[in-house]
Amino acid sequence: MKIHRHRGRVGLLAAAAALSLVLTACGNGDTDGNQDDGDVSGELTMLTPIYEGTEGNRLLEEEILPAFYEEYPEVTVSVDYQTYGTLNEKLTTAVAGGLIPDVMMMGVGWVEAFAANGVLAELDSLGVTAESLAGDYTPQIVAGGTVDGSLYALPIMLDTRFGCARMDLLAEAGYEQPPASWEELRDYAVALTERDGSGTLQRAGFDMLSMDLRQMYEVFLFSAGGSLFNEGATEPTFNSAEGVAALEFITGLMNQDQVEDIGFSNTDADVHPLLNGRAAMAVCHNNLWIQLQEAAPELADQIQPFLINGTQPGMFFGGTLATVSASSENQQAALALAQFLAGPEPSLAANEQRGNVPALTELLDSGYVQGNPLVQFAMENLDVAQREGGPPQWLEIRGDFSPAIESALLEQKTPQQALDDLAEAARAAMGR
Amino acid sequence: MTATAPAIRARPAPTAAQARRRRLLVRVGLHLLLALGAVTMIVPFVWMLLTSVKSPAELASFPPTFWPDEWVWSNYSGAMQAAPFATYFRNSLIIATGHTLITLLFGSLAGYALARIPFRGRELLFLGFIAMLMIPTYTKIVPQFLIVRFMPLSGGNDLFGQGGSGWLNTWWALLIPGGLSPFAIFLFRQFYLSLPRELEEAARIDGLGELRIWAQIYTPLIKPAVATVALLTFQESWNNFLWPLLVTTRDELRVIQVGLAVFQQQENTAWHHLMAGTTLATVPMVLLFLLAQRYFIQGFTQAGIK
Amino acid sequence: MVAPAVAHAAIWIAVPVLATLVLSFTDYRVFAAPRWIGFGNYVEIWHDQVFRKATWNTVVYTFFTVPFSMGIAVVVAVLLNQKLRLRTAYRAAFFLPQVTATVAIAMVWLRIYNPQFGPLNGVLSFFGVPGRAWLADPDWALWSVIVVGVWQGIGLKMLIYLAALQNVDENLYEAAAIDGASPVRQFFAITLPMLKPATFFVFVVSIIGAFQVFDLVYVLTDGGPANATTMMTYEVYRSAFQDFRMGMACAQSVVLFAFLLFLTIVNRRLTRSDEK
Repeated sequence: MKIHRHRGRVGLLAAAAALSLVLTACGNGDTDGNQDDGDVSGELTMLTPIYEGTEGNRLLEEEILPAFYEEYPEVTVSVDYQTYGTLNEKLTTAVAGGLIPDVMMMGVGWVEAFAANGVLAELDSLGVTAESLAGDYTPQIVAGGTVDGSLYALPIMLDTRFGCARMDLLAEAGYEQPPASWEELRDYAVALTERDGSGTLQRAGFDMLSMDLRQMYEVFLFSAGGSLFNEGATEPTFNSAEGVAALEFITGLMNQDQVEDIGFSNTDADVHPLLNGRAAMAVCHNNLWIQLQEAAPELADQIQPFLINGTQPGMFFGGTLATVSASSENQQAALALAQFLAGPEPSLAANEQRGNVPALTELLDSGYVQGNPLVQFAMENLDVAQREGGPPQWLEIRGDFSPAIESALLEQKTPQQALDDLAEAARAAMGR
Repeated sequence: MTATAPAIRARPAPTAAQARRRRLLVRVGLHLLLALGAVTMIVPFVWMLLTSVKSPAELASFPPTFWPDEWVWSNYSGAMQAAPFATYFRNSLIIATGHTLITLLFGSLAGYALARIPFRGRELLFLGFIAMLMIPTYTKIVPQFLIVRFMPLSGGNDLFGQGGSGWLNTWWALLIPGGLSPFAIFLFRQFYLSLPRELEEAARIDGLGELRIWAQIYTPLIKPAVATVALLTFQESWNNFLWPLLVTTRDELRVIQVGLAVFQQQENTAWHHLMAGTTLATVPMVLLFLLAQRYFIQGFTQAGIK
Repeated sequence: MVAPAVAHAAIWIAVPVLATLVLSFTDYRVFAAPRWIGFGNYVEIWHDQVFRKATWNTVVYTFFTVPFSMGIAVVVAVLLNQKLRLRTAYRAAFFLPQVTATVAIAMVWLRIYNPQFGPLNGVLSFFGVPGRAWLADPDWALWSVIVVGVWQGIGLKMLIYLAALQNVDENLYEAAAIDGASPVRQFFAITLPMLKPATFFVFVVSIIGAFQVFDLVYVLTDGGPANATTMMTYEVYRSAFQDFRMGMACAQSVVLFAFLLFLTIVNRRLTRSDEK
């Protein structure tokens, strides 16, 4: 009897606590930030998926931040290190709990969602505009941090995807240059594909499966002259004629020309197939160079990047950008930190640590970029690079891409059907 | 039953040698079966060990090697230097030990009560504990985070949980919310349930209180269960990754699994370092298992009853 | 005696569970306050083809992994409970998958299933059976994942059965042996009935574990190909942390919860009478 009564009270307590929890969740929508313009001081918190590990920590805390403190002695920074794998979970709880870090590093696709929902501070009103950045960056890169004409994020590093070829294997087949068009790409890939007597694939002529399927498809979409969304990001356009042509080209390579078999490689593959000769060409990421230097330095002269060229050259870029919280109490200081991190020396060091592509145009001449052929290639061709994203719901939509592309590769749907269904899902998400 | 026994005994008698040979055959067959099973079970573990001493170049070669060409022990020092593992290791040890102790004490108390003390609503309470396991972690974790963050009167919070950061960045957040899992209560209950009733009746006649029956009579009889719960709680806690990451922002409070995540970047996994680090994180669990399984010796439970 | 546990569970689990129930009727985007939408999420779930697929996959996965790994585990536990040379080594071996990191497990099974050089296709081709791209074939991917699920699930269940076997009175076996019961008969007549409380635990925990399978699928197939192996928890995770639709994630969790509660209550009804 005694125990029973006790339990009832605990139940009541639990219900009350649940209620207050929901109430506090409701209450944190309007956080007020009172900033004193011009006064660059205060304690800052920063959330970052880069500068990870001992190497990254050391770089940030022993080189970059001390330099920052020299310029801004009144500011202190405490850093929450994450990886991209858990960034969303951390951002979700931070936003839900109303403890949003003053400076947040995030990917290109995140900026729209967080800006549209009022989490990010508009930088124009703090004195940095897209125009003021125009001289330092390629226009598309600045656009990655812009939503509805306002600037919300400063680019620090880029991840790029393009074609890579093993020139030694191409030479064996009599090719002196990487393919210059879709048609050449197909011809080369067919010629470079090797199967044993029983038909088991030994070498893929062109590997499409080691790269995330969405990003792989986007490279072809861009090279077909297509885009993900219309101007203003109100309608999906990846199921336009260009988008369908891109997916048809990919499924053709896989199913008609059989330059690779489904299941031959995947994004979790422990070695990139270009590095062990299991593929002659591939869609690759610029940090293949880092893997190459570790695992197969003898191939340094043999890997050559190239632009996949349909009706126009296509290259994909994503990246990491610095943003300022709209609820920060020290927005000027936060902006100063974001600008400092995006500046030439700190951003060069951060890119070097991760093998990525600096966003700042002037860094093309740096020793790091000149010594890394893939990064150099990416920087030299940034004018043709395009990003993913568009509507604030992009993070919701992008997860549906891989299953859709897989269903086309598996011939469960035609490319047109697969993309139409995907566009339907995208419209539903954008309408919510 | 009794009718068949004489029939067996009545069989012609070349029993001794034949029976021994048959038993030998059964033994050999059994060992073959178990060995085959065991081999399929340890392959990934062995693969982890071997990968942890291969060079990146060897890992990239095709066809893949099984036995390392060259044993690169420096992978271990390389992995240890990639993150502050000494701190992480210490934190994991503190948290896992804390969780285990909390669970053993309160879990066994609750399990005993649910199994042995009749009270109104017991069945409902028991089902309630199980039901709470049925909501996935990913949905519970945000409310749990909010409770920690709005914990009243701590971390600068006022009575209504406003103003500060609650238990975030404290040991409380790491130790308390995950300290007691309904799994443990459930397992303890099942084990207390399997013990004979006569024991408690005798004890009650002797005038022992429930706490003493729990502590002196029943719990010593389920040492294998205690060992099992300890092992599983420790392991669960040791492998926890997301929660410690969410409730802390500082490296001093982070755990070993967070350290291991450094080797797995989006586009590039450092397999040699990842496997070296993972091996170091796994070995304590294997040792703990070997320790725990020593309690699985049939017979000593009955010693208590007789 | 149960009070500390009840208090702990009330705060740290019951409140989040209640919050999940409440939030499942809202549109909660994390960025803004939850907005009450009644059964809106549930209606959307009902029409969501991917979640239906996930539900079906989860049910199939559970239906096959739980009985198989439980059956193997109980037999292995009984075998490893007798006096046997190398017993400790065998026990450790069977428990190892439980402590081996999921990434290592996945890497090995990805190799075993590899369509070009995997040993599975190698063995099959030796017998003249054509190989497959197991994990990339929509007809086989789920079954391939189920095999790994059974394999991985044995260790934990064996451990619990081993612990439970220590409480089985040896005198029962001695009596049965005198009566001439074969070991197989002893297993069914004594061991299994004595293991009933443990079996109830293993069953419920396994069902819950199987319904919430995540890591294994994530590293083996990432839910693919074309959603052939996507699972309910997987969709919950996506809704919560990729789509930032916390209300939807809660509603999906409640659906999952309903399945589990139903299965547990059915099982409880079936076994309850024998327990006391």
